[in-house]
Amino acid sequence: MIDKALFKLNGFKRTIGFLFVMATLQGVFTILQAIYLAMTITNLFHKEQLANQLLPMSLFFIFFMLKQTIIYFREKYMKRFSMKIGSDLRKELNTKLFNLGPNITATEGTGNMVTLNLEGISNVEQYVQLFLPKVVNMSVIPILIFIYTLTLDTTSALILLLVLPVLIFFLILLGIAARVKADKQYESYQILSNHFVGSLRGLKTLRFLGLSKKYDRNIKKVSEQYRKATMGTLAIAFLSTFALEFFTSISIAIVALFLGLGLIKGTLVLLPSLIILILAPEYFAPIREFGADYHATLDGKNAFTAISSILAKPLYKQDQKEITKWDAQSTLNIKNLTVQHEEANQPSLHDVKFTIRGFQNVGIIGASGSGKSTLINALSGFVETKNTDILLNGETISSFNNKNWQNQIYYIPQHPYIFHNTIRNNVAFYTKNSTNKQIENACERAGLSDVIASLPNGYDEMIGETGRTLSGGQEQRIALARAFLDDSRKILLFDEPTAHLDIETEWEIKQRMLPLFKNRLVFFATHRLHWMMDMDLILVMDHGEIVEQGTHKELIAKKGYYYQLVKQQSHGTEA
Amino acid sequence: MTTKQQNILKHTWVKPYLKQNKKHLLLVFFLGTMTFICASALMFTSGYLISKSATRPENILLVYVPIVLVRTFGIFRPVFNYLNQLTSHSFVLKIVSNMRVRLYKNLESQALTLSNRFSTGNLLGVLADDIEHLQNFYLKTIFPSVFATVLFFISVVALGFFSIPFALLIALLLFVLLIVIPLVSLLANRKRLMQMKVIRSELYASLTDAVMGLSDWKISGKQQIFLTDYEKIEEKQDILEYQMDTFNRRRNLLFQVIVVLMTLVMICFAATNANAGDFAHIWIAAFVLVVFPLAEAFSPVPDAISHIPSYETSLHRLNKIEAANVGTKEHVNTMKGQPINITFNDVSFKYDKEQSAVLKKLNLQFKQGEKIAILGKTGSGKSTIAKLILGVIPPSDGTVQLNGQNSSSIQEDIATYVGVLEQKPHLFDSTVMNNIRLGNIHATDEEVMEAAKKVQMHSYIESLPDGYNTRMQELGERFSGGERQRIALARILLQDTPIVILDEPTVGLDAITEQKLIDTIFKALQGKTIIWITHHLAGVDHMDRVMFIEDGSVYLEGTHQQLLSSNARYRRLYTLDHPMME
Repeated sequence: MIDKALFKLNGFKRTIGFLFVMATLQGVFTILQAIYLAMTITNLFHKEQLANQLLPMSLFFIFFMLKQTIIYFREKYMKRFSMKIGSDLRKELNTKLFNLGPNITATEGTGNMVTLNLEGISNVEQYVQLFLPKVVNMSVIPILIFIYTLTLDTTSALILLLVLPVLIFFLILLGIAARVKADKQYESYQILSNHFVGSLRGLKTLRFLGLSKKYDRNIKKVSEQYRKATMGTLAIAFLSTFALEFFTSISIAIVALFLGLGLIKGTLVLLPSLIILILAPEYFAPIREFGADYHATLDGKNAFTAISSILAKPLYKQDQKEITKWDAQSTLNIKNLTVQHEEANQPSLHDVKFTIRGFQNVGIIGASGSGKSTLINALSGFVETKNTDILLNGETISSFNNKNWQNQIYYIPQHPYIFHNTIRNNVAFYTKNSTNKQIENACERAGLSDVIASLPNGYDEMIGETGRTLSGGQEQRIALARAFLDDSRKILLFDEPTAHLDIETEWEIKQRMLPLFKNRLVFFATHRLHWMMDMDLILVMDHGEIVEQGTHKELIAKKGYYYQLVKQQSHGTEA
Repeated sequence: MTTKQQNILKHTWVKPYLKQNKKHLLLVFFLGTMTFICASALMFTSGYLISKSATRPENILLVYVPIVLVRTFGIFRPVFNYLNQLTSHSFVLKIVSNMRVRLYKNLESQALTLSNRFSTGNLLGVLADDIEHLQNFYLKTIFPSVFATVLFFISVVALGFFSIPFALLIALLLFVLLIVIPLVSLLANRKRLMQMKVIRSELYASLTDAVMGLSDWKISGKQQIFLTDYEKIEEKQDILEYQMDTFNRRRNLLFQVIVVLMTLVMICFAATNANAGDFAHIWIAAFVLVVFPLAEAFSPVPDAISHIPSYETSLHRLNKIEAANVGTKEHVNTMKGQPINITFNDVSFKYDKEQSAVLKKLNLQFKQGEKIAILGKTGSGKSTIAKLILGVIPPSDGTVQLNGQNSSSIQEDIATYVGVLEQKPHLFDSTVMNNIRLGNIHATDEEVMEAAKKVQMHSYIESLPDGYNTRMQELGERFSGGERQRIALARILLQDTPIVILDEPTVGLDAITEQKLIDTIFKALQGKTIIWITHHLAGVDHMDRVMFIEDGSVYLEGTHQQLLSSNARYRRLYTLDHPMME
């Protein structure tokens, strides 16, 4: 019933021990409270004076409050405990996230990672907080009440005992039904919500096709279908709750009847009967409570599994070798560079080899899916490479996931990420200690000055998701400004930086970029051929392999794959 | 109950639904209340039964009525509960189904004017979630509160028959349970919930920064800074959360104090009445035991009420997109089958009165069958031209006409005349066949396949195991950007409009795919007016005219050949797309 993984949580055993003590106390106080309440009523029934009942009434009050206090402190403890667990998990998850790097967000999805961290951990906290005490209560309190009832009246105790297996049977059924329900309903719900959100996302398309007005009927239809399907499953799912409640309720009624009969026959007296009657609902309460929140805890359980599976992923090994600064004499020799993603049956990169010397500008060209981005990611140390021989200045390193390498590189993707922050802080992200003068200078060189001057808050304008949205060209310029500002990073890696830009913006940005390329080692992956004219070495990629390499002139003369690419794109020029 | 709550009940996303389904709602209230009445009656009659039995009546028949009642209430409590669960869920699902249609209609009327960020972002999903979230407003807040309120009146009135002072005393205690504690809890939690929301969005923002900007963090080597900062916000949240939990725990403790006081009052009441001879002593147990199931009915209320602020957020969001519905429909002459000419006459356009004009005094003519490429930077106004032709937005000044009729008046039928190939056409979660058929829902299978042949997708689709019945979602992975565009193009072929706007359909495609797609597009769309909004010059040689927009006006226009031979800037840009073979 309890996840095995939970046992590994810090302080878990101590908590369970604590919960057992608390549950026992709660059970004892529940019984005592019932005794004194019944005593008061019985005395009054026997026409004693109300004034004489002060003692049992006070004792009832005291034990009632003691029970509530126990609950209070248990909840307090569990809140602390679950928050501690949540906080530990979060730290672990965040550390893992940074260890695995951008690769993990690619496989798990950005939204997924954010939700798992925010919602997922809250769900786990709730799961731990609610689920554990309920399990313990359920395994302690009914037993205590049963034993005590047994001392009062065997028949009642037997009734309570006999109903228990029935209840547990339905609880298990509830579990199965819940799973079936969760699966079934989730499936149909998924279809509905995909359909609905899909329709909303496709509204523009529907509008263009002249269908959007009529489509609301479709929404209604699918929604109604879902309602009917759901009601069908709910009718069954609630049936198990019904059974739980029915047997509880019926057994209280039966206990009452037998007590009544015993009293008439004279085999019983009022006091124990009343105690039993008061205790009967308390006997079932922990089981009902457990059933009531069962569905709610499923989310937490699932989130816990999801988080555990990410935490269980093998660490992405870092290379620790010292690496000297890249300069005009440095060399990089790569052989057997292979990248194999877990799910894919073919390697994304296969047996890539090349040699780089000094501040060369290297163009990487190929169609989409040819492995350009993967190569850039491998060079950045974001994806794990397999048995690759990397010879850096004659020294072997095991991977580019090396701090000393990453300290020297600067990576610009198609959509450079803009942080929720001011322009100034965004530009100075890599170099926090830059002066305003330096920042302004970098922005000037990236061609941002005019835009910044036109903003109400200038360099202090908030950009990023909550702030002002930038155009694709402006995002690139921010990234360029970062690179201009950080002169110490001599290796630049670009991944399709201009693919989505309009041609005028592309041309303008190219003018800003080319000066940056001087005295730097540049890897530039793109499908835009014109960049190749400015490259010293071109790696032509197809299906994860380098099919040709050389300068533009050499490759044209070779009349191979590159030549075909150029020819296809130049289609129309001859006219 | 509270002013805020009244507001929320009168909300346009709440009130009409309560009103429309009055009968259903009353049934829910009845069943819910009956559940608790049976639960209370079970304990009441049980208490009476054993007390009566304890007087040792000679004949069991004397307790026959309470025996039957105990059994009846024992059975009916779960029955009512079951029925209540079913009816309340059916009620809520019905409402939610209506809400979905309403949300859809609202968004539909604004489909093309919603800002890009809104329509592409996650916000649509959030709105859909809001509707799901509102289910709980009914199930967990409104219903339990109503049940408790009804029970409140029933118990007070019932007690009033015996003793008015005691009834008032119990009324006071129940009032604390039903109104005072929930209200205080709402007020106290509202502030914390708001603070929590601020912290949550801070966490969300900073976590998105971490995840989306992961490569920057990693390369810059500043992970530790992030982790420390993030932990600080987390700590703030934890403290707040703990405060809220402490408050709720204390509130629950107070709730139980009131319950035990009620029990004691009940004891006193029953004893006093019995001793005064108002009723027999056998009733004492019945009256006292009824307190606990009664309290159970009240226990969800404080939590239910204090959750109201979270629903307000959802309602607020839904309200924001409530449609400002667009104007009147003019009579429009049908132009079906006719050649259509588009004219822009001195057209200016501003999105906002204060903002500078996006288009300035634009005069354009597109004749039937002409092919025009429109280029310009982001924000130059090129996509505004498309919106004006579609009539989605009326020009601030001047006229945009199709054969002399204002485009904004044709808006409703525009899909008959103008087709649009978007940057990211939506493929619906249905079969390939159905997706293409959306272009003309009356098209036969043969016509759909014909269209697929024209976009060169037929043989590929046929090669799939399920052929045209393959579901789009399964293809999501397999379909490349170019193939998705081809499906969308097939749709437009079926739509068969005289004018087609191409709104940057090739963005993000690599050069070879792009070139092939462009060739297919122009071959398939022969004879139609093509207005091609594009970001670069690949394929412009297909066009009759090339036009550059800057700052809301045309600054360069001509045929491709003219521009290539006469304009240096144009030549320079052209070589970016067509690197010469040296």
